[in-house]
Amino acid sequence: MYPAKVEKLLLKVQKPGRYVGGELGEVIKDKREVDVRFAFCFPDTYEIGMSHLGIKILYSLFNEKPYIWCERVFAPWIDMEEEMRAHDIPLWALESGDPLSDFDFIGFTLQYELSYSNILNMLELGNIPLLSKDRHDLKHIVVAGGPCACNPEPITDFIDIFFLGDGEEVDLEVMELYRECKKDGKSREEFLRLASQIKGVYVPSLYDVSYHDDGTIESVTPRDNAPAVIEKRVMMNMDESYYPDNFVVPNIEIVHDRAVQEIFRGCIRGCRFCQAGFLYRPVREKSVECISEQCHALCRNTGYDEVSLSSLSSSDYTQVVPLLRELNSWAKPENVSLSLPSLRVDGFSDDILNEIKTVRKSGLTFAPEAGSQRLRNAINKNVFEDELMNTCRVAFEGGYTTVKLYFMIGLPTETMDDVAQIPLLGKKVLDTFYSTPNRPKGKSPRVTVSASSFVPKPFTPFQWEPQDTMDLLREKQQHIKQTMIDNHISPGKMSYNYHDSDTSYLEAVFARGDRRLNAVMLEAHKRGIRFDGWNDCFSLQNWLEAFEACGIDPAFYANRRRSFDEVLPWDHLDYGVTKEFLRRECERAYSSEASPNCREKCLGCGCTKYKGGVCYEKR
Amino acid sequence: MKNVRVFYRKFGSCKYISHLDTNRVMLRAIGKSGLNIWRTEGFNQHAYITFALPLSLGFGSECESMDFRVLDDNEDLSAIPDRLNSCLPEGIRVFRCAESVHKPAAIDSAKYAVSLEPMTEGEISFEELKQKLTAFVDLPEIIVQKKTKKGMKDVDLKPYILSFEIREGEKAAFDLTLPAGSTLNINPNLLINAFADSIGIELYADITRVGIFTKDGEDFA
Repeated sequence: MYPAKVEKLLLKVQKPGRYVGGELGEVIKDKREVDVRFAFCFPDTYEIGMSHLGIKILYSLFNEKPYIWCERVFAPWIDMEEEMRAHDIPLWALESGDPLSDFDFIGFTLQYELSYSNILNMLELGNIPLLSKDRHDLKHIVVAGGPCACNPEPITDFIDIFFLGDGEEVDLEVMELYRECKKDGKSREEFLRLASQIKGVYVPSLYDVSYHDDGTIESVTPRDNAPAVIEKRVMMNMDESYYPDNFVVPNIEIVHDRAVQEIFRGCIRGCRFCQAGFLYRPVREKSVECISEQCHALCRNTGYDEVSLSSLSSSDYTQVVPLLRELNSWAKPENVSLSLPSLRVDGFSDDILNEIKTVRKSGLTFAPEAGSQRLRNAINKNVFEDELMNTCRVAFEGGYTTVKLYFMIGLPTETMDDVAQIPLLGKKVLDTFYSTPNRPKGKSPRVTVSASSFVPKPFTPFQWEPQDTMDLLREKQQHIKQTMIDNHISPGKMSYNYHDSDTSYLEAVFARGDRRLNAVMLEAHKRGIRFDGWNDCFSLQNWLEAFEACGIDPAFYANRRRSFDEVLPWDHLDYGVTKEFLRRECERAYSSEASPNCREKCLGCGCTKYKGGVCYEKR
Repeated sequence: MKNVRVFYRKFGSCKYISHLDTNRVMLRAIGKSGLNIWRTEGFNQHAYITFALPLSLGFGSECESMDFRVLDDNEDLSAIPDRLNSCLPEGIRVFRCAESVHKPAAIDSAKYAVSLEPMTEGEISFEELKQKLTAFVDLPEIIVQKKTKKGMKDVDLKPYILSFEIREGEKAAFDLTLPAGSTLNINPNLLINAFADSIGIELYADITRVGIFTKDGEDFA
């Protein structure tokens, strides 16, 4: 549904299907018969937001409760935003067409730092006061969860409640509490105080932060009995954890237009740059039977003929080949194809290839992350060159000709020599193609090398590290290009892509920012900044002006090396991994030493306290 | 194997599903319904559906059709509308299914029900709008720029207006029949935009396709 006034505007904007709802699987309820209305807001466009698995899980979970009606809201693209502002139409939810201001909860998912500016813009378009302190009465509770909630400090002025960790239980507990508070006529403040007592709930307004003269944090002090340390929530039994048997199926094409089936949460690897690998510990698998059953129901109910198996590293699923065989027992006859993203170089086998092989041979993608073995050890990406070459050989023999390789530049301890190894590794893949006797005949190979800029993140062993300056990152990008020329690598066979370092810089600032960045967020919003994740909108210059106006130096957050004993802005949040463990891992990185994965040897990260998952698997 | 044509209405939020996306929506609905239809047998096998006459984005319709082949000769065609409807979004409703009578190439014209209003409310009265529109359509020639494969071309729409009739009522509503099909297809927006330009007022047009006809004036079936 959409407001009547919108009808006339729809054909003036790109992709009007983004704004109208009415999809198969959307949940419509009678608003008079529910106690809690929840607006699930994704701070990006419809096509991006509808591709996200978390929104689908929570949407169905909430709507299974008769007293909750959860609806979807996405950021309008700039053309629609302009029309909305010109015609005074507040941001609406797709199910009811009602404005955001009609909702009890306005919930955002924090997937990437560059979407923060859209949160403020969406609140404003929905006529919700931006600052928590300007919202009164027991309504318009602005909540947020997702990976970036692990350091939510830069947006604490705008959000009332953060959910840490898995949301399946804690979200419902908070809504149940709200329902009771509303019935009992409690105030907003009372509700927030009570909510702060629920495990996994962080109410930032109940904490005071003081700073040293050098700008680092002195202490974070709770008030009103709020816990000094807030622990994340973890769903330990994945088979019993809620999973939807239906999705809202978009009428227009979205980025990931297929069924998605989660196979496990967490990752055993502990790559030192990877935040997800630490935030979602410990690894918890679903059983083959459970996955197959859920996945089959999902395909039947949505009508999708493609299903993607989702996890941080698919080939680490202990039963991956039996799983694929089981799925194919119904998928093949029903013309459903399987895709297995996030394959590791060392987890790729003939058996897997045979089960996922479709007639359309798209390329294969691997992420060695670093060019040299020394640096791969330092970042704990336990992948060896001969494994990559073997894997590529298997792929070429299987008929593939296109390989994409993902790398990062700016990794801690990286030298120019490490950087030069990136294109040289690509070249070795090309050489492997020509030395494979059973390669596809009459076709030429194509290797794409992509290098993104490393962003140090909280709760990783590199959380203390400075990000390379933008100048140095650019120099490294040029060095890759020059190495290609010097080694006569044909651009026809190997292409090199790199991401603009500007967005990585901003990401680095907000990833490890503190509460003083709230002022910058607000200033940026006033300057009309939004959609930072989109090249057509992003301008680092505009951001730098906002920092300047607030008297804040972004380099303090992005490029400064923190000492191990500094109080970090997220130290009062507990994601299971201890600071001591992260420090040990960081020091091993300095000596280019890799660490075993969770299945090989327990490193004592701290997550055994959750009493389950990989930590208690039989070895 | 039977060549089957289903007829459906497209309205509400589903007006904003483009032709390509409609194809995807239909394929998923067929998949979900379990209807056994012919699939291509080439390199990239997929369920095979075709549409006789694409519908522009934003148009509603009372008379869309989609063709496919059912593999089972004993398939109960009368059950297909319900089977598909339970797998389709609200704004697409299948109301008939039968073996196809005409070839898509037989399509010759289409009738549209159009309702006009000024983009800015009150800028012009419906009465005045109707008068100006009637006068405009009565002009001896209506030259518009039409995008063709060879670039922009001046086209006189006048001979293409096969019928034009103002509807009774308060609104500025009318029925319009224009050539349609794969050889010559005139979009009603060409005429509406030319009219809006001539009066210098931005108009909003609610357009619904209400009929598709063959050369003999029969309903496309």
